[in-house]
Amino acid sequence: MNKLYQAKHELWLDILFASFAINDKQIKRDLYNFSTIEFRHMKWLGDKVLKDGDDYNYDRTKMLHKRESVFDILRYLIVELKKISALYGEDILNARMITDEDYMIHHIAALLDNRANDAQITAFNMARKYADKNLPQEQTDALTIFLFEESYKEYELILVYAYMQARTTNLTHFNVFQDLIDESHFHLQSFGEMMAKMGILALPRELHSMTYIVKDIEKFVIDGIAEEEGAKEMCKTLSDAIHDDELKRFFDFVNYQESYHIELMKKLL
Amino acid sequence: MYEDVKMPEGMNPEVLEHLMAPKNYGKIEDPSGVGVAMDEQTGEYVIFYIQTDGEIIEDLKFATNGCQDTVVVGSMFSAMVKGDNIQNGKKALAKMELKLGGLTPKQRVCTDMVLEAFVASLINREHLLNGENEEMHIIKMKESCEVEENE
Repeated sequence: MNKLYQAKHELWLDILFASFAINDKQIKRDLYNFSTIEFRHMKWLGDKVLKDGDDYNYDRTKMLHKRESVFDILRYLIVELKKISALYGEDILNARMITDEDYMIHHIAALLDNRANDAQITAFNMARKYADKNLPQEQTDALTIFLFEESYKEYELILVYAYMQARTTNLTHFNVFQDLIDESHFHLQSFGEMMAKMGILALPRELHSMTYIVKDIEKFVIDGIAEEEGAKEMCKTLSDAIHDDELKRFFDFVNYQESYHIELMKKLL
Repeated sequence: MYEDVKMPEGMNPEVLEHLMAPKNYGKIEDPSGVGVAMDEQTGEYVIFYIQTDGEIIEDLKFATNGCQDTVVVGSMFSAMVKGDNIQNGKKALAKMELKLGGLTPKQRVCTDMVLEAFVASLINREHLLNGENEEMHIIKMKESCEVEENE
């Protein structure tokens, strides 16, 4: 299978989860934007792999390293960004990826020049305390499970829809997949940020090919709609269980978004 | 052996560790057996890969598109039987099955799916040892994950 594609997939996750782990708003925003560029690289690369008659999968070997400080994370990202360059070829897409990553390396290196950018990382401390809120234990437990369930699910949806989008020739389907991918990126970002706040940031587990190689799209959509209904129910249950206005409003907001996902998915039938 | 077999009980640091970094998650290239437990109603599955040396389970890995209960049970069970022999693996299975009654209906179905996938991998190993040509052994679940919690 395509090694560069796997490395790109892992690099996207590295930068994305670094953005969740770091508390500084500016650095977080910059890294998140870089992660979206890496995701686009991944999409373009996937298209090229298929066009060349090859294939790719979603295998991963890297784990999420629990770094202690912002600088540890930034140094790690520079190493990983430099490492992938050894895999690039010489076409126009590769040239684009090289120039993007040269800029990222330069930008991250500049952050390392300012000691004020360094800080302790709290995203992995397992404290399970949501910011300044004092949620009772059972609400904290419910929120913990929800975040693990849904962060995995959003990651799964991004990859499954991307896999199908790369292989469809139907424009309506292509557009629906894009909408659903965009929505799941937002949800994954929201849940990843919440996990980091609670000190339980973790990489979603790897997808098995049985999950993303879809043989029967109709069954996939029907199961997917049932899953969205389940996610809506989970949001509602959580919203009812958590006695905090800000969190309640957030879960209601996500719940209503899931309703429209179902409408989007119906267009695939 | 396996008298003190563990099942996930609420949210404790051990369960949290399994959630954050599930043990033995993934796949094995050229395994001795591959088994799948499939819930056809929801499309949820657990797949187990085992690598044996004689009767010793040298390595095993699992993957699932299921819920976190499934992940935690898969992680705990695989850590428990890895390195042991198949006979003891079956004993661990029996002990865990005995404990299923204490779980919620949903947890019971999820746990059962993990255990059935392990059984399927052993069946596939047996079939391959007997010279049969079977890519993986699939067991279809009788009960679905969509059981009502107030059942």
